[in-house]
Amino acid sequence: MGDILVKGVAIEVDEDGFIVDPAVWSTDLVEVFAKDEGIEALTEQHWKVINYLRDYFKQYGIAPMIRKLCKDTGFSLKEIYELFPSGPAKGACKLAGLPKPTGCV
Amino acid sequence: MARNDFGPPDYRELIPPVIQKNYGQWKYHTIPRPGVLKHVSDTGDVLYSVRIASPRLVSSEYIRSISDIADTYCDGYLRFTTRNNAEFLVSDESKLEPLIKDLVAKGYMIGGGGHSISNVVHTQGWIHCKSAVTDASGIVKDVMDELHPYFTGEIKVPARLRIAVACCVNMCGACHCSDISIVGIHRTPPRVNDELLVGRCEIPTTIAACPTGAIRPNPKTKSVEINHEKCMMCANCTVVCPAIKIMDPVNDGVSIWVGGKVSNARTAPKFSRLAIPYLPNNPPRWPEVTNAVKHLVEVWAASAREGERMGEWIDRIGWERFFEKTGLPFTDKHIDDFTHATTTFRSTTQFRF
Repeated sequence: MGDILVKGVAIEVDEDGFIVDPAVWSTDLVEVFAKDEGIEALTEQHWKVINYLRDYFKQYGIAPMIRKLCKDTGFSLKEIYELFPSGPAKGACKLAGLPKPTGCV
Repeated sequence: MARNDFGPPDYRELIPPVIQKNYGQWKYHTIPRPGVLKHVSDTGDVLYSVRIASPRLVSSEYIRSISDIADTYCDGYLRFTTRNNAEFLVSDESKLEPLIKDLVAKGYMIGGGGHSISNVVHTQGWIHCKSAVTDASGIVKDVMDELHPYFTGEIKVPARLRIAVACCVNMCGACHCSDISIVGIHRTPPRVNDELLVGRCEIPTTIAACPTGAIRPNPKTKSVEINHEKCMMCANCTVVCPAIKIMDPVNDGVSIWVGGKVSNARTAPKFSRLAIPYLPNNPPRWPEVTNAVKHLVEVWAASAREGERMGEWIDRIGWERFFEKTGLPFTDKHIDDFTHATTTFRSTTQFRF
């Protein structure tokens, strides 16, 4: 557990850096997370993935399967990794403010 | 960017020259003494492997110390087996006796080959896993302390006997297919933390994780509720949802399963079946568990025919004789009641009083 600073406001994150309260998600938060994730600049493509994940979670209450994500955004898994070096779960889902992936990861 | 996707090192660069030379040309092997294997090749070359017990969870000092031994006697070559024993590979016969003497002097236990009780395949337990119902390393140490004469070959057994430990019913490892399996189990239904669940857990995933359909959404709290009548405490929901907790130090414990095997020798592979539904967690020595395992080994060893594994022995004498010989109580917990349970019921008049 710890806090990160977003525009001077402390936001609580867990030990893997996922936000604890989904309500605190903001575009400023994404900018801060992106730096930690080794993303130099957030492009339109990054936002396409992030917005897709948020919309999907809002509608279905779960994160999409990787195949679903690739099919609907048109990015291959390789391209997703180029956008989010730590991958769709640890990278993209974290930026999108989704719950931390669980199970035998 | 760092180099990635280059896979493990090629095993051919890591094997002793004698194995490289005779790869695919081995003629036969013998077991000159417990824990020592002798392989003879078509070319006449001979390779001895000396197997020692390892606790699997080892320090880098341990790795360095066995590497030193390998440097002295085996030109720096050693291997680990699929049951996490270590094997020293000796191609120079004159170094075999000094190696064995040195290993014994340093307190390494030689054995685990042929008809014996080899190492216990086990999991993380309280060392590292958040779902562990019981400890793995602790139980393994206790069981092997009790059974070490079976490892070293001091006490003979009719066939090989595999023991495995899994600290929850996820059964990482070999518990579903071992002669004797020790599996951690819960006995109290999980508790849901509604406040924490919102935003932390994927509710559809949590519902779908339940094998008995005991979980349903609770719209009032935007959380889930668990039907305790349907819950069998598998803890699968706690794996996918950190807001559901099941740990209960008083009622958690272990179950013991028997009769599994993976080989196709003589009979087809078998799943292990429930023998003891519950034994308490009693660290650090787990006396109830070690006594039960030792008892099962002794009854089997006294009654089984040469080469007959636990499951084959039970198949021959029948489960009612198994419970009679071992003195274990047969309870309602032993009767399968999951989806296709009918196939496990007796559909014949053949049975023994």
